[in-house]
Amino acid sequence: MTAMPTNDEIALLARQAGLDLKPEYFQELVDAYGNVRRMIDRIPTGRPRGDEPAHVFVPTKFLPVTE
Amino acid sequence: MDLPQPATQTDPSTLSIAELAPLLRAGTLSPVALTEACLARIARHDNALHAFITVTADIALNAARRAETEIAAGHYRGPFHGIPYALKDIVDVEGVRTTAHSRLMPETPATADAFVTRKLNAAGGILLGKLGTFEFALGGPSWDLPWPPPLNPWNTGFLPGGSSSGSGAAVAARFVPAAIGTDTGGSVRWPAACCGIVGLKPTYGLISRRGVQPNTFSLDHCGPMTRTARDCALMLAACAGHDPLDPGSADVAIPDYAAALTGDIAGLRIGLVRNWYADDATPEVAAATDAAAEHLARLGATVEEVVLPDLGDFCDCKTLISMSELFAIHKKDLQARPEAFGAKLRQRVIGGVFIRAEDYLNAQRWRGDLARLLLAQFGHFDALVTAGWLTAADPADPAHADFFRRGRNMTMPFSLAGVPAASVPVGFGAHGLPLAMQVAAAPFAEATVLRIADAYQRATDWHTRMPTLQPGAPA
Repeated sequence: MTAMPTNDEIALLARQAGLDLKPEYFQELVDAYGNVRRMIDRIPTGRPRGDEPAHVFVPTKFLPVTE
Repeated sequence: MDLPQPATQTDPSTLSIAELAPLLRAGTLSPVALTEACLARIARHDNALHAFITVTADIALNAARRAETEIAAGHYRGPFHGIPYALKDIVDVEGVRTTAHSRLMPETPATADAFVTRKLNAAGGILLGKLGTFEFALGGPSWDLPWPPPLNPWNTGFLPGGSSSGSGAAVAARFVPAAIGTDTGGSVRWPAACCGIVGLKPTYGLISRRGVQPNTFSLDHCGPMTRTARDCALMLAACAGHDPLDPGSADVAIPDYAAALTGDIAGLRIGLVRNWYADDATPEVAAATDAAAEHLARLGATVEEVVLPDLGDFCDCKTLISMSELFAIHKKDLQARPEAFGAKLRQRVIGGVFIRAEDYLNAQRWRGDLARLLLAQFGHFDALVTAGWLTAADPADPAHADFFRRGRNMTMPFSLAGVPAASVPVGFGAHGLPLAMQVAAAPFAEATVLRIADAYQRATDWHTRMPTLQPGAPA
Protein backbone atom coordinates (compact mmCIF):
# COMPACT_ATOMS: atom_id res chain seq x y z
CA MET A 1 0.00 0.00 0.00
CA THR A 2 1.07 3.55 -0.69
CA ALA A 3 2.83 5.09 2.32
CA MET A 4 0.50 7.14 4.54
CA PRO A 5 1.19 10.86 4.12
CA THR A 6 1.47 13.20 7.07
CA ASN A 7 -1.56 15.05 8.35
CA ASP A 8 -0.22 18.26 6.81
CA GLU A 9 0.09 16.54 3.45
CA ILE A 10 -3.48 15.22 3.71
CA ALA A 11 -4.74 18.70 4.52
CA LEU A 12 -2.82 20.06 1.54
CA LEU A 13 -4.29 17.41 -0.79
CA ALA A 14 -7.77 18.34 0.35
CA ARG A 15 -7.14 22.06 -0.05
CA GLN A 16 -5.77 21.53 -3.54
CA ALA A 17 -9.04 19.78 -4.38
CA GLY A 18 -10.98 22.73 -3.03
CA LEU A 19 -11.90 21.45 0.42
CA ASP A 20 -10.68 23.39 3.43
CA LEU A 21 -12.51 22.05 6.48
CA LYS A 22 -12.62 23.23 10.07
CA PRO A 23 -10.25 21.39 12.46
CA GLU A 24 -13.08 19.40 14.07
CA TYR A 25 -13.54 17.46 10.83
CA PHE A 26 -9.86 16.79 10.23
CA GLN A 27 -9.81 13.31 11.75
CA GLU A 28 -12.67 12.32 9.42
CA LEU A 29 -10.50 13.44 6.53
CA VAL A 30 -7.56 11.36 7.75
CA ASP A 31 -9.74 8.27 8.24
CA ALA A 32 -11.25 8.70 4.79
CA TYR A 33 -7.81 9.03 3.20
CA GLY A 34 -6.73 5.61 4.48
CA ASN A 35 -9.96 3.98 3.33
CA VAL A 36 -9.84 5.55 -0.13
CA ARG A 37 -6.13 4.87 -0.62
CA ARG A 38 -6.64 1.18 0.16
CA MET A 39 -9.30 0.95 -2.54
CA ILE A 40 -7.37 2.95 -5.13
CA ASP A 41 -4.36 0.70 -4.63
CA ARG A 42 -6.55 -2.28 -5.59
CA ILE A 43 -7.49 -0.92 -9.03
CA PRO A 44 -5.81 -3.13 -11.64
CA THR A 45 -3.13 -1.19 -13.51
CA GLY A 46 -1.13 -1.63 -16.71
CA ARG A 47 -4.05 -1.21 -19.06
CA PRO A 48 -3.78 -0.65 -22.81
CA ARG A 49 -4.21 3.00 -23.80
CA GLY A 50 -7.43 2.26 -25.65
CA ASP A 51 -9.17 0.42 -22.78
CA GLU A 52 -12.54 2.19 -22.62
CA PRO A 53 -14.08 3.00 -19.23
CA ALA A 54 -17.59 1.71 -18.52
CA HIS A 55 -19.30 4.82 -19.73
CA VAL A 56 -20.50 5.88 -23.15
CA PHE A 57 -21.73 9.25 -24.36
CA VAL A 58 -24.89 9.10 -26.47
CA PRO A 59 -25.44 12.55 -28.01
CA THR A 60 -29.11 11.92 -28.76
CA LYS A 61 -29.73 11.58 -25.01
CA PHE A 62 -28.94 15.27 -24.63
CA LEU A 63 -31.07 16.68 -27.43
CA PRO A 64 -33.59 19.28 -26.22
CA VAL A 65 -36.87 17.58 -25.39
CA THR A 66 -40.25 19.13 -24.81
CA GLU A 67 -42.85 17.11 -22.98
CA MET B 1 -59.85 12.99 9.82
CA ASP B 2 -61.84 10.21 11.51
CA LEU B 3 -59.71 7.12 11.59
CA PRO B 4 -61.27 3.68 11.20
CA GLN B 5 -60.87 1.00 13.83
CA PRO B 6 -57.47 -0.66 14.36
CA ALA B 7 -56.34 -3.17 11.75
CA THR B 8 -57.35 -6.80 12.10
CA GLN B 9 -56.41 -9.97 10.28
CA THR B 10 -59.19 -9.31 7.79
CA ASP B 11 -58.16 -5.72 7.29
CA PRO B 12 -57.67 -5.06 3.56
CA SER B 13 -54.36 -3.35 4.34
CA THR B 14 -52.89 -6.81 4.88
CA LEU B 15 -53.70 -8.01 1.33
CA SER B 16 -51.32 -8.08 -1.61
CA ILE B 17 -51.79 -6.10 -4.82
CA ALA B 18 -52.74 -9.29 -6.64
CA GLU B 19 -55.41 -9.98 -4.00
CA LEU B 20 -56.65 -6.39 -3.89
CA ALA B 21 -56.88 -5.69 -7.63
CA PRO B 22 -59.84 -7.99 -8.43
CA LEU B 23 -61.73 -6.74 -5.35
CA LEU B 24 -61.20 -3.13 -6.36
CA ARG B 25 -62.09 -3.80 -9.97
CA ALA B 26 -65.29 -5.61 -9.02
CA GLY B 27 -66.30 -2.86 -6.62
CA THR B 28 -66.27 -5.35 -3.72
CA LEU B 29 -63.68 -3.17 -2.01
CA SER B 30 -63.67 0.61 -2.16
CA PRO B 31 -60.29 2.36 -2.72
CA VAL B 32 -61.41 4.81 -0.03
CA ALA B 33 -61.98 2.05 2.52
CA LEU B 34 -58.64 0.48 1.62
CA THR B 35 -56.83 3.81 1.93
CA GLU B 36 -58.49 4.52 5.28
CA ALA B 37 -57.47 1.09 6.53
CA CYS B 38 -53.84 1.69 5.57
CA LEU B 39 -53.87 5.17 7.12
CA ALA B 40 -55.33 3.75 10.32
CA ARG B 41 -52.63 1.10 10.48
CA ILE B 42 -49.96 3.76 9.98
CA ALA B 43 -51.52 5.96 12.67
CA ARG B 44 -51.65 3.04 15.10
CA HIS B 45 -48.17 1.62 14.60
CA ASP B 46 -45.78 4.00 12.90
CA ASN B 47 -44.84 5.83 16.06
CA ALA B 48 -43.03 2.61 16.96
CA LEU B 49 -41.44 2.08 13.54
CA HIS B 50 -40.75 5.58 12.11
CA ALA B 51 -41.18 4.33 8.56
CA PHE B 52 -42.88 7.53 7.36
CA ILE B 53 -41.46 11.03 7.34
CA THR B 54 -44.60 12.51 5.77
CA VAL B 55 -48.06 10.95 5.58
CA THR B 56 -50.04 12.52 2.72
CA ALA B 57 -53.49 11.59 4.00
CA ASP B 58 -55.36 14.33 2.13
CA ILE B 59 -53.66 13.55 -1.18
CA ALA B 60 -54.37 9.87 -0.60
CA LEU B 61 -58.04 10.26 0.22
CA ASN B 62 -58.63 12.59 -2.74
CA ALA B 63 -56.93 10.12 -5.08
CA ALA B 64 -58.89 7.24 -3.55
CA ARG B 65 -62.21 9.03 -4.09
CA ARG B 66 -61.20 9.73 -7.69
CA ALA B 67 -60.27 6.06 -8.20
CA GLU B 68 -63.57 4.96 -6.69
CA THR B 69 -65.52 7.19 -9.07
CA GLU B 70 -63.49 6.07 -12.10
CA ILE B 71 -63.77 2.37 -11.35
CA ALA B 72 -67.50 2.68 -10.66
CA ALA B 73 -67.86 4.40 -14.03
CA GLY B 74 -66.08 1.52 -15.78
CA HIS B 75 -62.78 3.31 -16.29
CA TYR B 76 -60.53 0.72 -14.66
CA ARG B 77 -56.91 1.57 -15.43
CA GLY B 78 -55.29 -1.74 -14.51
CA PRO B 79 -54.02 -3.71 -11.52
CA PHE B 80 -52.41 -0.70 -9.82
CA HIS B 81 -55.67 1.29 -9.86
CA GLY B 82 -56.68 2.09 -6.30
CA ILE B 83 -53.53 0.54 -4.79
CA PRO B 84 -51.93 2.49 -1.93
CA TYR B 85 -48.17 3.04 -2.23
CA ALA B 86 -45.44 5.18 -0.70
CA LEU B 87 -42.17 6.69 -1.88
CA LYS B 88 -38.70 6.82 -0.41
CA ASP B 89 -38.27 10.44 0.58
CA ILE B 90 -35.74 11.26 -2.11
CA VAL B 91 -38.47 11.02 -4.77
CA ASP B 92 -40.34 14.22 -5.60
CA VAL B 93 -44.07 14.76 -5.26
CA GLU B 94 -45.46 18.11 -6.40
CA GLY B 95 -46.49 20.20 -3.41
CA VAL B 96 -44.79 17.96 -0.84
CA ARG B 97 -41.40 18.57 0.72
CA THR B 98 -38.63 16.13 -0.22
CA THR B 99 -36.42 15.83 2.85
CA ALA B 100 -33.88 13.21 1.71
CA HIS B 101 -33.83 12.59 5.51
CA SER B 102 -31.44 15.55 5.67
CA ARG B 103 -31.06 19.03 7.07
CA LEU B 104 -29.41 19.96 3.78
CA MET B 105 -32.66 19.97 1.82
CA PRO B 106 -34.84 23.09 1.58
CA GLU B 107 -38.14 23.15 3.45
CA THR B 108 -39.99 24.26 0.33
CA PRO B 109 -42.15 21.67 -1.43
CA ALA B 110 -41.16 20.03 -4.68
CA THR B 111 -42.50 21.82 -7.73
CA ALA B 112 -43.12 18.75 -9.88
CA ASP B 113 -43.66 15.03 -9.60
CA ALA B 114 -40.76 12.71 -10.31
CA PHE B 115 -41.34 10.67 -13.46
CA VAL B 116 -41.83 7.52 -11.39
CA THR B 117 -44.43 9.30 -9.23
CA ARG B 118 -46.23 10.44 -12.34
CA LYS B 119 -46.24 6.91 -13.78
CA LEU B 120 -47.62 5.35 -10.61
CA ASN B 121 -50.31 8.00 -10.27
CA ALA B 122 -51.23 7.59 -13.93
CA ALA B 123 -51.67 3.88 -13.25
CA GLY B 124 -54.16 4.82 -10.53
CA GLY B 125 -51.87 4.43 -7.50
CA ILE B 126 -52.82 6.13 -4.22
CA LEU B 127 -49.84 7.92 -2.67
CA LEU B 128 -49.85 7.58 1.12
CA GLY B 129 -46.62 9.40 1.88
CA LYS B 130 -42.86 9.70 1.96
CA LEU B 131 -40.61 7.20 3.71
CA GLY B 132 -37.48 7.40 5.84
CA THR B 133 -34.13 6.69 4.22
CA PHE B 134 -30.44 6.86 4.93
CA GLU B 135 -29.51 10.54 4.45
CA PHE B 136 -29.42 11.16 0.68
CA ALA B 137 -29.70 7.39 0.22
CA LEU B 138 -26.23 6.90 1.70
CA GLY B 139 -25.57 8.22 5.18
CA GLY B 140 -27.14 5.96 7.74
CA PRO B 141 -28.45 4.58 9.90
CA SER B 142 -28.26 7.92 11.70
CA TRP B 143 -29.38 9.10 15.11
CA ASP B 144 -28.18 12.70 14.60
CA LEU B 145 -30.80 13.80 12.06
CA PRO B 146 -34.19 15.48 12.55
CA TRP B 147 -36.02 12.16 12.01
CA PRO B 148 -35.18 8.90 13.80
CA PRO B 149 -34.10 5.91 11.73
CA PRO B 150 -36.91 3.51 10.79
CA LEU B 151 -36.97 0.26 12.79
CA ASN B 152 -37.53 -3.33 11.72
CA PRO B 153 -41.19 -4.47 12.05
CA TRP B 154 -40.07 -8.02 12.85
CA ASN B 155 -38.11 -6.85 15.89
CA THR B 156 -37.84 -3.19 16.79
CA GLY B 157 -34.51 -3.81 18.49
CA PHE B 158 -33.12 -4.12 14.97
CA LEU B 159 -32.90 -1.97 11.84
CA PRO B 160 -34.57 -2.56 8.49
CA GLY B 161 -31.36 -2.18 6.45
CA GLY B 162 -31.00 0.66 4.01
CA SER B 163 -30.89 2.95 2.42
CA SER B 164 -34.58 2.43 1.54
CA SER B 165 -35.21 1.74 5.23
CA GLY B 166 -38.71 3.17 5.49
CA SER B 167 -39.77 1.46 2.26
CA GLY B 168 -38.75 -1.94 3.62
CA ALA B 169 -40.34 -1.33 7.01
CA ALA B 170 -43.60 0.08 5.60
CA VAL B 171 -44.21 -2.84 3.23
CA ALA B 172 -43.33 -5.49 5.83
CA ALA B 173 -45.59 -3.76 8.38
CA ARG B 174 -48.51 -3.78 5.91
CA PHE B 175 -48.73 0.01 5.97
CA VAL B 176 -48.74 -0.16 2.17
CA PRO B 177 -48.66 -3.12 -0.20
CA ALA B 178 -46.02 -1.41 -2.34
CA ALA B 179 -43.28 1.16 -2.08
CA ILE B 180 -40.59 2.65 -4.26
CA GLY B 181 -37.01 2.43 -3.08
CA THR B 182 -33.80 3.38 -4.80
CA ASP B 183 -30.74 1.20 -5.24
CA THR B 184 -27.20 2.37 -6.00
CA GLY B 185 -25.27 -0.45 -4.34
CA GLY B 186 -28.08 -2.47 -2.80
CA SER B 187 -30.47 0.01 -1.20
CA VAL B 188 -33.62 -1.75 -2.42
CA ARG B 189 -32.35 -5.30 -1.89
CA TRP B 190 -30.74 -4.93 1.55
CA PRO B 191 -33.87 -3.55 3.28
CA ALA B 192 -35.98 -6.08 1.38
CA ALA B 193 -33.73 -8.83 2.77
CA CYS B 194 -33.89 -7.45 6.31
CA CYS B 195 -37.66 -7.00 6.20
CA GLY B 196 -38.67 -10.27 4.54
CA ILE B 197 -40.13 -8.74 1.38
CA VAL B 198 -39.30 -8.77 -2.34
CA GLY B 199 -37.23 -5.86 -3.62
CA LEU B 200 -36.22 -5.57 -7.26
CA LYS B 201 -33.39 -3.49 -8.62
CA PRO B 202 -34.29 -3.49 -12.30
CA THR B 203 -31.90 -3.07 -15.21
CA TYR B 204 -30.13 0.31 -15.20
CA GLY B 205 -32.38 2.73 -17.06
CA LEU B 206 -35.64 0.75 -16.90
CA ILE B 207 -37.26 3.14 -14.39
CA SER B 208 -36.57 6.86 -14.76
CA ARG B 209 -34.58 8.67 -12.08
CA ARG B 210 -35.83 12.14 -13.02
CA GLY B 211 -37.03 13.96 -9.93
CA VAL B 212 -35.09 11.63 -7.63
CA GLN B 213 -32.19 12.96 -5.55
CA PRO B 214 -28.97 11.50 -6.97
CA ASN B 215 -26.52 9.27 -5.16
CA THR B 216 -24.32 8.06 -8.04
CA PHE B 217 -25.47 8.96 -11.55
CA SER B 218 -23.89 5.93 -13.20
CA LEU B 219 -25.35 3.47 -10.70
CA ASP B 220 -28.69 4.87 -9.50
CA HIS B 221 -31.86 2.84 -9.97
CA CYS B 222 -35.45 3.09 -8.69
CA GLY B 223 -37.07 -0.20 -7.77
CA PRO B 224 -40.36 -1.69 -6.57
CA MET B 225 -40.61 -3.17 -3.07
CA THR B 226 -43.56 -5.45 -2.35
CA ARG B 227 -44.33 -8.61 -0.42
CA THR B 228 -44.49 -10.95 -3.40
CA ALA B 229 -42.79 -11.37 -6.76
CA ARG B 230 -46.18 -11.12 -8.45
CA ASP B 231 -46.83 -7.73 -6.83
CA CYS B 232 -43.35 -6.66 -7.88
CA ALA B 233 -44.23 -7.55 -11.48
CA LEU B 234 -47.44 -5.52 -11.28
CA MET B 235 -45.74 -2.47 -9.78
CA LEU B 236 -42.82 -2.66 -12.21
CA ALA B 237 -45.22 -2.68 -15.17
CA ALA B 238 -46.83 0.45 -13.74
CA CYS B 239 -43.63 2.46 -13.31
CA ALA B 240 -41.15 1.25 -15.95
CA GLY B 241 -40.83 3.07 -19.24
CA HIS B 242 -38.75 5.45 -21.28
CA ASP B 243 -38.25 9.02 -20.08
CA PRO B 244 -36.59 11.22 -22.69
CA LEU B 245 -35.56 13.68 -19.96
CA ASP B 246 -33.49 11.10 -18.06
CA PRO B 247 -30.27 10.54 -20.06
CA GLY B 248 -29.89 7.13 -18.47
CA SER B 249 -33.39 5.99 -19.41
CA ALA B 250 -33.65 2.95 -21.67
CA ASP B 251 -36.00 3.09 -24.64
CA VAL B 252 -37.29 -0.47 -24.56
CA ALA B 253 -40.70 -2.11 -24.79
CA ILE B 254 -42.20 -2.97 -21.40
CA PRO B 255 -43.42 -6.56 -21.38
CA ASP B 256 -46.25 -8.03 -19.33
CA TYR B 257 -44.06 -9.16 -16.45
CA ALA B 258 -46.92 -10.87 -14.61
CA ALA B 259 -47.65 -13.04 -17.66
CA ALA B 260 -44.20 -14.62 -17.27
CA LEU B 261 -45.03 -15.89 -13.78
CA THR B 262 -46.09 -19.38 -14.76
CA GLY B 263 -44.81 -21.12 -11.66
CA ASP B 264 -42.73 -23.33 -13.94
CA ILE B 265 -38.95 -23.05 -13.80
CA ALA B 266 -38.20 -26.54 -15.08
CA GLY B 267 -35.17 -26.51 -17.33
CA LEU B 268 -33.90 -23.08 -16.29
CA ARG B 269 -30.14 -23.03 -15.71
CA ILE B 270 -29.17 -21.30 -12.48
CA GLY B 271 -25.62 -20.48 -11.38
CA LEU B 272 -25.15 -20.50 -7.60
CA VAL B 273 -22.46 -17.99 -6.59
CA ARG B 274 -21.36 -19.55 -3.30
CA ASN B 275 -17.90 -17.99 -3.13
CA TRP B 276 -19.47 -14.61 -2.32
CA TYR B 277 -21.09 -15.92 0.85
CA ALA B 278 -19.80 -19.38 1.81
CA ASP B 279 -17.03 -18.09 4.08
CA ASP B 280 -18.29 -14.63 5.00
CA ALA B 281 -22.01 -15.03 5.68
CA THR B 282 -23.40 -15.98 9.06
CA PRO B 283 -24.14 -19.72 9.24
CA GLU B 284 -27.90 -19.10 9.19
CA VAL B 285 -27.66 -16.99 6.01
CA ALA B 286 -25.41 -19.52 4.27
CA ALA B 287 -27.67 -22.43 5.23
CA ALA B 288 -30.86 -20.62 4.16
CA THR B 289 -29.35 -19.65 0.80
CA ASP B 290 -28.09 -23.19 0.15
CA ALA B 291 -31.51 -24.55 1.09
CA ALA B 292 -33.25 -22.11 -1.25
CA ALA B 293 -30.98 -23.17 -4.11
CA GLU B 294 -31.80 -26.82 -3.39
CA HIS B 295 -35.47 -25.88 -3.44
CA LEU B 296 -35.08 -24.31 -6.88
CA ALA B 297 -33.45 -27.54 -8.05
CA ARG B 298 -36.40 -29.54 -6.70
CA LEU B 299 -38.66 -27.27 -8.73
CA GLY B 300 -36.86 -28.43 -11.87
CA ALA B 301 -34.11 -25.87 -12.38
CA THR B 302 -30.57 -27.03 -13.07
CA VAL B 303 -28.46 -25.47 -10.31
CA GLU B 304 -24.70 -25.45 -10.77
CA GLU B 305 -22.11 -23.73 -8.60
CA VAL B 306 -20.11 -21.00 -10.31
CA VAL B 307 -17.11 -19.04 -9.02
CA LEU B 308 -16.97 -15.31 -9.78
CA PRO B 309 -14.32 -12.69 -8.86
CA ASP B 310 -13.99 -11.85 -5.20
CA LEU B 311 -16.84 -9.82 -3.74
CA GLY B 312 -14.34 -7.25 -2.47
CA ASP B 313 -13.35 -6.36 -6.06
CA PHE B 314 -16.92 -5.39 -6.91
CA CYS B 315 -17.35 -3.48 -3.66
CA ASP B 316 -14.13 -1.45 -3.87
CA CYS B 317 -14.77 -0.62 -7.52
CA LYS B 318 -18.35 0.47 -6.84
CA THR B 319 -17.41 2.46 -3.74
CA LEU B 320 -14.68 4.43 -5.54
CA ILE B 321 -17.04 5.35 -8.37
CA SER B 322 -19.76 6.32 -5.90
CA MET B 323 -17.52 8.37 -3.62
CA SER B 324 -16.21 10.34 -6.55
CA GLU B 325 -19.67 11.16 -7.91
CA LEU B 326 -21.04 11.85 -4.42
CA PHE B 327 -18.25 14.31 -3.74
CA ALA B 328 -19.08 16.21 -6.92
CA ILE B 329 -22.73 16.35 -5.81
CA HIS B 330 -22.14 17.36 -2.18
CA LYS B 331 -18.84 19.27 -2.22
CA LYS B 332 -20.41 22.72 -2.14
CA ASP B 333 -22.35 21.89 1.05
CA LEU B 334 -19.42 20.01 2.54
CA GLN B 335 -17.30 23.13 2.28
CA ALA B 336 -20.01 25.62 3.26
CA ARG B 337 -21.92 23.81 6.05
CA PRO B 338 -20.36 20.48 7.05
CA GLU B 339 -22.18 20.63 10.40
CA ALA B 340 -25.52 20.28 8.59
CA PHE B 341 -24.61 16.79 7.39
CA GLY B 342 -25.31 13.74 9.50
CA ALA B 343 -21.93 12.39 10.55
CA LYS B 344 -22.29 9.21 8.49
CA LEU B 345 -23.10 11.01 5.25
CA ARG B 346 -20.24 13.45 5.79
CA GLN B 347 -17.78 10.67 6.57
CA ARG B 348 -18.82 8.68 3.47
CA VAL B 349 -18.67 11.62 1.10
CA ILE B 350 -15.54 13.32 2.37
CA GLY B 351 -13.12 10.71 0.97
CA GLY B 352 -14.12 11.63 -2.57
CA VAL B 353 -11.78 14.61 -2.30
CA PHE B 354 -8.84 12.20 -2.64
CA ILE B 355 -10.07 10.40 -5.76
CA ARG B 356 -8.38 11.85 -8.82
CA ALA B 357 -9.90 11.88 -12.31
CA GLU B 358 -7.39 9.17 -13.25
CA ASP B 359 -8.58 6.97 -10.36
CA TYR B 360 -12.22 7.47 -11.30
CA LEU B 361 -11.62 6.53 -14.93
CA ASN B 362 -9.53 3.52 -13.96
CA ALA B 363 -12.32 2.45 -11.59
CA GLN B 364 -14.72 2.73 -14.53
CA ARG B 365 -12.36 0.56 -16.58
CA TRP B 366 -12.34 -1.93 -13.69
CA ARG B 367 -16.12 -1.80 -13.72
CA GLY B 368 -15.98 -2.80 -17.37
CA ASP B 369 -13.79 -5.82 -16.56
CA LEU B 370 -16.03 -6.97 -13.71
CA ALA B 371 -19.27 -6.37 -15.63
CA ARG B 372 -17.97 -8.36 -18.62
CA LEU B 373 -17.05 -11.27 -16.36
CA LEU B 374 -20.46 -11.26 -14.68
CA LEU B 375 -22.46 -10.72 -17.88
CA ALA B 376 -20.60 -13.57 -19.59
CA GLN B 377 -22.29 -15.94 -17.14
CA PHE B 378 -25.62 -15.29 -18.84
CA GLY B 379 -24.32 -17.06 -21.93
CA HIS B 380 -24.51 -20.25 -19.88
CA PHE B 381 -27.01 -19.49 -17.13
CA ASP B 382 -30.50 -18.03 -17.23
CA ALA B 383 -29.99 -16.60 -13.75
CA LEU B 384 -27.55 -16.32 -10.87
CA VAL B 385 -28.49 -16.95 -7.25
CA THR B 386 -26.57 -15.93 -4.15
CA ALA B 387 -27.25 -14.70 -0.62
CA GLY B 388 -29.34 -11.56 -0.15
CA TRP B 389 -27.01 -10.10 2.48
CA LEU B 390 -24.23 -11.61 4.59
CA THR B 391 -26.12 -11.19 7.87
CA ALA B 392 -29.63 -10.69 9.13
CA ALA B 393 -30.60 -7.16 10.20
CA ASP B 394 -28.21 -5.13 12.34
CA PRO B 395 -29.12 -4.09 15.89
CA ALA B 396 -30.63 -0.64 16.33
CA ASP B 397 -27.55 0.46 18.20
CA PRO B 398 -25.55 3.56 17.24
CA ALA B 399 -22.41 1.81 18.50
CA HIS B 400 -22.81 -1.15 16.14
CA ALA B 401 -20.05 -1.55 13.54
CA ASP B 402 -20.66 0.51 10.40
CA PHE B 403 -21.62 -1.77 7.49
CA PHE B 404 -20.02 0.72 5.10
CA ARG B 405 -16.55 -0.13 6.36
CA ARG B 406 -17.06 -3.90 6.04
CA GLY B 407 -16.55 -3.54 2.29
CA ARG B 408 -18.37 -6.78 1.46
CA ASN B 409 -21.91 -6.02 0.33
CA MET B 410 -23.61 -8.91 -1.45
CA THR B 411 -25.63 -6.59 -3.63
CA MET B 412 -22.89 -4.60 -5.33
CA PRO B 413 -21.87 -7.01 -8.12
CA PHE B 414 -25.29 -6.72 -9.74
CA SER B 415 -25.25 -2.95 -9.21
CA LEU B 416 -21.98 -2.62 -11.12
CA ALA B 417 -23.22 -4.85 -13.93
CA GLY B 418 -26.53 -2.94 -14.11
CA VAL B 419 -28.53 -6.17 -14.31
CA PRO B 420 -31.89 -6.93 -12.69
CA ALA B 421 -31.61 -8.51 -9.25
CA ALA B 422 -34.23 -9.22 -6.62
CA SER B 423 -34.05 -10.01 -2.95
CA VAL B 424 -36.44 -12.84 -2.03
CA PRO B 425 -37.24 -14.03 1.53
CA VAL B 426 -35.96 -17.54 2.27
CA GLY B 427 -36.50 -17.97 5.99
CA PHE B 428 -36.07 -16.56 9.45
CA GLY B 429 -33.08 -16.63 11.77
CA ALA B 430 -32.18 -15.59 15.27
CA HIS B 431 -34.35 -12.90 16.91
CA GLY B 432 -37.13 -13.67 14.42
CA LEU B 433 -35.35 -11.77 11.67
CA PRO B 434 -35.84 -12.55 7.96
CA LEU B 435 -33.17 -14.05 5.70
CA ALA B 436 -33.00 -13.68 1.91
CA MET B 437 -31.47 -14.80 -1.35
CA GLN B 438 -30.82 -12.74 -4.46
CA VAL B 439 -31.84 -13.77 -7.96
CA ALA B 440 -30.24 -11.95 -10.90
CA ALA B 441 -30.48 -12.28 -14.67
CA ALA B 442 -29.29 -10.68 -17.90
CA PRO B 443 -30.09 -7.03 -18.73
CA PHE B 444 -33.85 -6.52 -19.20
CA ALA B 445 -34.59 -10.11 -18.13
CA GLU B 446 -36.70 -8.91 -15.18
CA ALA B 447 -39.32 -11.47 -16.19
CA THR B 448 -36.82 -14.28 -15.56
CA VAL B 449 -35.88 -12.93 -12.14
CA LEU B 450 -39.52 -12.57 -11.14
CA ARG B 451 -40.48 -15.95 -12.61
CA ILE B 452 -37.91 -17.70 -10.42
CA ALA B 453 -38.86 -15.65 -7.36
CA ASP B 454 -42.56 -16.33 -7.93
CA ALA B 455 -42.04 -20.06 -8.41
CA TYR B 456 -40.09 -20.16 -5.14
CA GLN B 457 -42.82 -18.21 -3.32
CA ARG B 458 -45.54 -20.52 -4.64
CA ALA B 459 -43.64 -23.41 -3.06
CA THR B 460 -42.83 -21.70 0.26
CA ASP B 461 -44.71 -19.59 2.78
CA TRP B 462 -42.08 -17.21 4.16
CA HIS B 463 -43.73 -14.23 2.45
CA THR B 464 -47.12 -14.97 3.99
CA ARG B 465 -45.89 -14.51 7.56
CA MET B 466 -46.74 -11.23 9.18
CA PRO B 467 -44.86 -9.35 11.91
CA THR B 468 -46.71 -8.70 15.16
CA LEU B 469 -46.77 -4.95 15.54
CA GLN B 470 -47.01 -3.13 18.82
CA PRO B 471 -48.93 0.14 19.05
CA GLY B 472 -46.60 3.12 19.04
CA ALA B 473 -46.49 5.82 21.65
CA PRO B 474 -49.01 8.60 21.10
CA ALA B 475 -47.77 11.18 18.60
